[in-house]
Amino acid sequence: MRVAGRLLALVVLTLLATGTANSAEPVLSQSQIDKLLLHGPWPVQWDRDPSNRVSGNPNAIALGRDLFFSPKLSGNGKMSCATCHHPGRGWTDRLPQGLGTTKLDRNTQSLFNVRLNRWFGWDGQNDNLWAQSIRPLLDPKEMNASAGHVVKVVNGDPELAEAYENVFGAAPDTANLELTLVNLGKAMAAFQETIVSGRSPFDAFRDALAKGDEKAASAYPAAAKRGAALFFGRGNCTFCHTGPNFTNGEFQDAGVPYFLGPGRVDKGRYAGIGKLKASKLTLAGDYSDDPAKTGAWKVRGVRALHRNFGEFKVPSLRNLTQTAPYMHNGSLATLEDVVRHYSEIDVERLHADGTRVLAPLHLNDREVKDLVAFLESLSTG
Amino acid sequence: MLRLIALFSLLLSASAYAEELPIFDSHIHYSHDAVEFLPPEKIAEILKKSGVKKALVSSSDDRGTQLLVKHAPDIVVPALRPYRKRGETGSWMHDPTIIEYVEDLLKRHKYHAIGEFHAFDEDIETPVLQRIIQLAKEHDLLLHAHSDADAVDRIFKAYPEARVLWAHSGFVRPERVREMLRKYKNLWADLAFRSDHDDNGKVVPQWREAFEEFPDRFMVGTDTFAPERWLYVEDHARTSRAWLSDLPKDIAEKIAFRNAETMLRLQPSQ
Ligand code: HEC
Ligand code: HEC
Repeated sequence: MRVAGRLLALVVLTLLATGTANSAEPVLSQSQIDKLLLHGPWPVQWDRDPSNRVSGNPNAIALGRDLFFSPKLSGNGKMSCATCHHPGRGWTDRLPQGLGTTKLDRNTQSLFNVRLNRWFGWDGQNDNLWAQSIRPLLDPKEMNASAGHVVKVVNGDPELAEAYENVFGAAPDTANLELTLVNLGKAMAAFQETIVSGRSPFDAFRDALAKGDEKAASAYPAAAKRGAALFFGRGNCTFCHTGPNFTNGEFQDAGVPYFLGPGRVDKGRYAGIGKLKASKLTLAGDYSDDPAKTGAWKVRGVRALHRNFGEFKVPSLRNLTQTAPYMHNGSLATLEDVVRHYSEIDVERLHADGTRVLAPLHLNDREVKDLVAFLESLSTG
Repeated sequence: MLRLIALFSLLLSASAYAEELPIFDSHIHYSHDAVEFLPPEKIAEILKKSGVKKALVSSSDDRGTQLLVKHAPDIVVPALRPYRKRGETGSWMHDPTIIEYVEDLLKRHKYHAIGEFHAFDEDIETPVLQRIIQLAKEHDLLLHAHSDADAVDRIFKAYPEARVLWAHSGFVRPERVREMLRKYKNLWADLAFRSDHDDNGKVVPQWREAFEEFPDRFMVGTDTFAPERWLYVEDHARTSRAWLSDLPKDIAEKIAFRNAETMLRLQPSQ
């Protein structure tokens, strides 16, 4: 009796340790696997940006890199793009909110895989990468420069000026500051298009499943597998975090409060649409180099809806281990905090009629760890 | 200079229009977490700044509503929400203690409506909902129902003389809303959290038909379901005025404020 009891305990322990992986029930159901396969292969095929005539051009990439790392462009000569988008910190700054001339309202987005975006900024105030790259130069709370200052700096630096002329076929035009600034934005965009995250343990697992290679698939940790079952199953995470880059590229309310302080809110997508509609630098505008104006339908068709108030862009989930803290305002410090946020989400904050996409999952501690392990497996390490 | 004058007159006409078209916000909440972030003085200020002349306010718990009644008695038309805290929208119909909560409040304060409450299909047949409907009858109160069409049918079956404000116009197509409005003469419909009638300031044709067939039944509302959305009241009033200006003036005024006044049997404001 005692021996049998111990034996049973041992079996249970083994099961706990290895999860359900060894039991009769497979960890992932076929429908979960079908969904999982849609999140690859990685990296995805990418075509140069037709709205940017120097996209993919090596000289433009080199010029863009120099601009990106140059503090001279900023108003006080001390801040570069890389101050906030630091390559050693996952192309962000590890701060809850960005720090420019003052503390910003939002978390600095990582630039990994930025070339895959449909909209830019947490609020999607731009529909293309070059326009988004000009924004921080002129924002008094960020690099706080004027167009005149930026063009003067480029002109006054023989190397930059020569590189500019090489790429754009003429010296920086000081009479047409806007055009020159857009060109500089396009060079910086060309550089940022090269920032691509590598293959993660998840990608190896996904490809192994796609090939039916059980041996290779078994290298993927059991906890991450159980987390995947939550992510692609009960958690419904793929409703928004879709595709190889784990985002549908659109805007949603994930239940994150958006007060900025007493009586002040971040209107999110609602205000982003206002800015987008007011901008000349869109895919529908004259600065797009694409005669077919590919993608211009987005800005033409979009209109502000009540639901857009307080919505933010669905972020990619790749390389999260390098980009803490999380959410549009950096309010959640760790991935465990994020998972617990979803686990106990306040649905009253979300307006839904009929079925809810997000509902409290009430995960136990092990499930929280599993889901975190899955999210971590989307990183290159 | 000319441009400046043009801009100036544009600003003037915009604010003149704001003066012209008061808004009765028929769907607004001031719940416990909003009270924390935005004190009632601030709320009163937001409503005034937005040109919201009246508002049908409810909150979970009721404290927020009572605070606002004190701070903006000329604006706030109180409604009794049968929730003690946010989070009871899906469970309250199975909780008999809600009845004590509601009856107690009815004894202590004056209300014009019960709602906004959430109830779908057979929810209406629960003893809690039946008692709520009975209380509406006893106290002659409007019922503000976030419901499907079936639940609305059941409310009128239980109490044919009920006055019902259908929250979000039931989130159904305008054709279906019209069917329901034809069926019940005491049914009104709010447009809260719907954007489908408003195409960048132009009224969508199917909705125009609905507004023309039932000019006396529709009204606007912001639905501050999360506390942050109080900061949306002003944007909402502005965009509402924009699409309302695409309707004949008398219909626009009715939807903007007259219908809510009539529904709630208040003194017409002007
Ligand atoms: C002071 C900190 C700071 C500096 C300096 C800065 N950024 Fe950013 N960046 C941010 C923040 C914060 C956001 C999110 C902005 C938002 O949502 O409005 C952002 C967003 C972006 C995005 C959008 C990414 C996405 O996924 O949508 C791009 C692209 C970008 N920055 C490029 C640049 C470039 C290029 C420069 C230099 C010219 C730069 N940034 C300088 C803080 C900074
Ligand atoms: C309804 C759409 C939706 C669903 C479903 C959803 N998310 Fe999100 N997710 C978002 C949005 C939107 C944000 C950004 C929210 C914000 O900042 O306000 C986000 C942010 C995140 C972040 C932070 C990323 C970063 O860089 O800051 C993580 C991690 C995350 N989600 C994981 C999950 C997991 C795990 C699930 C399933 C349990 C899930 N999400 C389900 C929309 C969604």
